[in-house]
Amino acid sequence: MIDNALLISLSRQVALRREMDVIANNMANMNTSGFRSAEVLFEEHLMRGAEATANKRADRDLSYVMDRGTLHNFEPGALIPTDNPLDLAIDGEGWFVVQTPQGERYTRNGSFQLTSTGHLVTSEGYRVLGDGGPLIFNDEDRTISVAGDGTVSTEAGEKGRIRVVRFADQTSLKAEGNSVFRADDVQPEILDQPRVLQGMIEKSNVKPLLEMSRMIEVTRAYASMTSMIERADNLRRDAISALGRID
Amino acid sequence: MRALHIAASGMMAQELNVEVISNNIANMRTTGFKRQRADFQDLLYQNIRRPGAATSDTGTIVPTGIQIGGGVKTAATPRVMSQGNILMTEKELDIAIRGDGFFRVRLPDGRTAYTRDGSLERDANGTIVTVDGFVIEPEIVIPDTARSISINAQGLVQAIIGLDAEATDLGTIDLARFVNPAGLQPIGDNLFLETESSGPAQVGIAGEEGFGTLLQSYLEQANVNPVSEISDLIAAQRAYEMNSRVISAADQMMSTTSNIQ
Repeated sequence: MIDNALLISLSRQVALRREMDVIANNMANMNTSGFRSAEVLFEEHLMRGAEATANKRADRDLSYVMDRGTLHNFEPGALIPTDNPLDLAIDGEGWFVVQTPQGERYTRNGSFQLTSTGHLVTSEGYRVLGDGGPLIFNDEDRTISVAGDGTVSTEAGEKGRIRVVRFADQTSLKAEGNSVFRADDVQPEILDQPRVLQGMIEKSNVKPLLEMSRMIEVTRAYASMTSMIERADNLRRDAISALGRID
Repeated sequence: MRALHIAASGMMAQELNVEVISNNIANMRTTGFKRQRADFQDLLYQNIRRPGAATSDTGTIVPTGIQIGGGVKTAATPRVMSQGNILMTEKELDIAIRGDGFFRVRLPDGRTAYTRDGSLERDANGTIVTVDGFVIEPEIVIPDTARSISINAQGLVQAIIGLDAEATDLGTIDLARFVNPAGLQPIGDNLFLETESSGPAQVGIAGEEGFGTLLQSYLEQANVNPVSEISDLIAAQRAYEMNSRVISAADQMMSTTSNIQ
């Protein structure tokens, strides 16, 4: 039984360490545009007790803790005005679609730039997709203006519409780093009436206060698990010295 | 303990953010300066429990999995090429560009650099040069006897020479523009060099389609907005502080572990 107490505390500590890593990543990305904070989901993991048919009463199940998954919080972040005409933000739901070497990816980080070839790209160089493929500008296009519904136009006329998609189930999106998300099991649907804002950028949705308090919680829980391990260990030592005494 | 390294990456990113902001503030009064902004991105994620992995033979799968990010990185420090305020100076060789375009500057090594800083001077020969003495292209020489120099919106330089009644044309200051001006490489001294990412320079006359116009006796101030820089600085400093708290919390957890007897 004492061994079980040790193992159960250990399972909690391993899970807490992972939670700490997730919190650290949220904090590190506090100023990353379009970043979505993550949290860890724990679940009880029941371990069957040893089958003891000889005894009258079967052993009780043991419950360990297990981190089952990390969930992203898809709440929108604050919208901050910048003077840059190539900074775009989506007000409300929706994702920008970008072309990466691995296929289409989705991002909320609208800090876009132009390349010398005139492509609209993310800071990682991924091309931003419009209705008819990547958005390209040439020498005649000088003032780029983006309307609320994502229509891009310049002096030379309409250039297409920025593709903004939504997902029926956002929870299956996976973060891939570089501000992009991947969708494996769900198909994006084109959003008919997106609200695209030009000259604005969406900050990360990390709430520093919440992360701080979660961090304190984790360190305290971790310390109390350690003291539990210590106590279980003391118990065992006492038992050995008490029971093992030969008078 | 990954948290230590993740928080360290956060601290390094915020340190760079403060560096970019302090450079903006330091150049608040630099003619033609364009402010920069640090853009961050999250680092790669490690899949500890892969989403989509089968949990049973009947086809149930892990819906979200465990993904732990590796921290943050600086993706770029793009330059915001917006127009700065135009300030009157009453000096006849101060020229501001209203709109798109750069002056072309010939560097001593023969390369061409580009600048928005229009505080120009005359050298000993009367050639129009930058404050560093670099010749503005195309080279325009103002004779000794010239007076009341005027530069119009299209860059035409005229002066009354000697006792003439009418002004003489001395040359035209032209402008260069780029598809992607944010991709220019800054080399200090208010100068930029053309790069692959900026695209080649397109030279044209001021006021032509796509080019800005010139304004004599005015200078373009930096486009730094002190209020937003200071608030960004506060945000960066706090973010730095919080990341250092994560490091001390992770450290505390490790010390609890090592203190188990």
